[in-house]
Amino acid sequence: MEEIISQLKVKIIEALNLEEMTPESIDATTPLFGEEGLGLDSIDALEIIVLLEKNYGIRLANAAEGKKVFTNIESIARYVSEHRTK
Amino acid sequence: MATIIADNIISPLGLTTGENLRAVMSGQSSLCRYEATDGLPFPYTASRFSDTTRRSLTIAGYTFWESLVINSIRRALGQCQGLMNGTTALILSTTKANVGMLKSPDDEPFVTSPGQSALRVAQALGLDTMPIVVSNACISGVSAMITADRLLKSGDYDNAIVCGAEELSRFIISGFHSLMALSEDECRPFDIERLGLNLGEAAATVILTRHGSPIAPQWQIMDWAVSNDSYHISSPSPRGDGTLRVLDRLTRGIDINDVAVINLHGTATMYNDQMESKAIERANMSDVPANALKGYFGHTMGAAGILETILTYRALDEGLILATRGFSEIGVSAKVNISPETRMTDKKTFVKIISGFGGGNAGIRITKTTVPAEQQLTCNSLSITHRVTITPHRLWLDGIDYPMANNGSSTLTDIYKKYVGDYPKFYKMDSLSKLGFVAARILTNAESDNDASTTRDIALFNKKSSLMTDIEYIASVGHGRDFYPSPSIFVYTLPNIVTGEIAINHKYCGETVFYVLPDRDDELINRLVRSMTADKNHSSILAGWVEYESPDQFVADMFIAQKQ
Repeated sequence: MEEIISQLKVKIIEALNLEEMTPESIDATTPLFGEEGLGLDSIDALEIIVLLEKNYGIRLANAAEGKKVFTNIESIARYVSEHRTK
Repeated sequence: MATIIADNIISPLGLTTGENLRAVMSGQSSLCRYEATDGLPFPYTASRFSDTTRRSLTIAGYTFWESLVINSIRRALGQCQGLMNGTTALILSTTKANVGMLKSPDDEPFVTSPGQSALRVAQALGLDTMPIVVSNACISGVSAMITADRLLKSGDYDNAIVCGAEELSRFIISGFHSLMALSEDECRPFDIERLGLNLGEAAATVILTRHGSPIAPQWQIMDWAVSNDSYHISSPSPRGDGTLRVLDRLTRGIDINDVAVINLHGTATMYNDQMESKAIERANMSDVPANALKGYFGHTMGAAGILETILTYRALDEGLILATRGFSEIGVSAKVNISPETRMTDKKTFVKIISGFGGGNAGIRITKTTVPAEQQLTCNSLSITHRVTITPHRLWLDGIDYPMANNGSSTLTDIYKKYVGDYPKFYKMDSLSKLGFVAARILTNAESDNDASTTRDIALFNKKSSLMTDIEYIASVGHGRDFYPSPSIFVYTLPNIVTGEIAINHKYCGETVFYVLPDRDDELINRLVRSMTADKNHSSILAGWVEYESPDQFVADMFIAQKQ
């Protein structure tokens, strides 16, 4: 789990061009969307869907399904550990 | 105001407006389901030309997109004998033109840019004026008709040929798929079960003149409006803010009861249709009949605004409001008067609205009437308050050189850090948007606070559209099992996104438009910008040239001009 969390942080920073952030600066429980957290938007969510498919073979059918999964890095990591196919 | 004297639609439903209208009136649709084809590993529903039609439309020596445009315009011109005197503008509208020819990054030198294509079309038609391509995402078609109306009103041309055309390709379909915007089955505009849009290929042409007949009633462009949501580059304002501003402007000074129909964008995505319903309710137009035509042709992108306008007035000529195919049970939260059945009317005024990526919303009001005394816009010379030039070696603001170092690929980031620095979204942008964005910020930083106004317009121009980002997107699409098109890069393959980025950052909700020209032509750019500043509702404009080719080759030459 911890390993997936740190992997995800690096991959998300890279895929979403979060230039001013480092893996250390993101807490696994910080909300990804909304003004309180990282402030990601709908295109970022779609990029995370691509990232999960590319790296872990996970297919999310739509963004609505992704909503719960994408609460924070920890919730994504949990979903990845349960559903990964590669 | 401009008078429509001829039109044509070429779609898989027919090669003339009449054929298309008859097909639609009898409920036919060209939507068809495709199982994984063209290297696309998913099924989709779209409106595409058959191979036979494609071959019959292709003109030797021209790309398919150019052939489509030439065919449509020639058919429209055939109706204009003796009606066109004086100078004629050629205005094409498209989101991606020939991009289907770009199969790998190595194809770049062989792919015809939209501006070069427009030049070839002009030559094929024997037109000697410099053509203009409007590349303003989904609102391109309406933006092109507005551009034509402005140029005619300001006396720059006597006639305008306006043609919107789109060809589908792996590039476009994979992009919309990555955005999860596509429905596998036929689209269902405004319906409770709508699941997304279908793409479509088509060409549609209108020919406009400023010398309409004073005797016989003709369809005239009465008013128009464009407003940016200033909200997000790919999601519409949830409450329909931009579309509401467009509707408010279009209904100002008229009786809403005279409007026969609002022809909606109605893409059948969750967000678009919901947004339009909100805007209509807020504009107090919930009882006005409304319809959406994507169920017949799919979303024909750069052609949609023109194609749907033509069908709406041709149906009104028959006393009909076309049925919304695919709709059965309302699935939006605000009230819209939409119907799966054809309705009758004797009214001769309608409103066409449309919205698209980059946050743009556009609308046009058209009425069948006799031509009143000629209206002319007075366009004085531009009153430029600030000007900036940025190249890999130079930053020049209002005549003063500012220090900068060329650091190869990080030059733009260095400029951002030194002169802007407060907008992390900068790092998410493609290079064209980064360049336009920093140039805009340097310009507006030079203004005193009270110079700026939220009604400011943005008009940017270049020659290569978003070619560098197109190549980057192609690389992300991949092949076979390695198929991972990037949704964020795809959005930036629309060159007008840079205008949306600037609007969002500055909270500008005026008009946003992106033009692609065959070559830089400052005289033509000035003419287009001048005609925009003559619009009484807007305060000022941020405009100019923005071209990004590589870290060693880019130029932004942008300015702010005040309203006259």
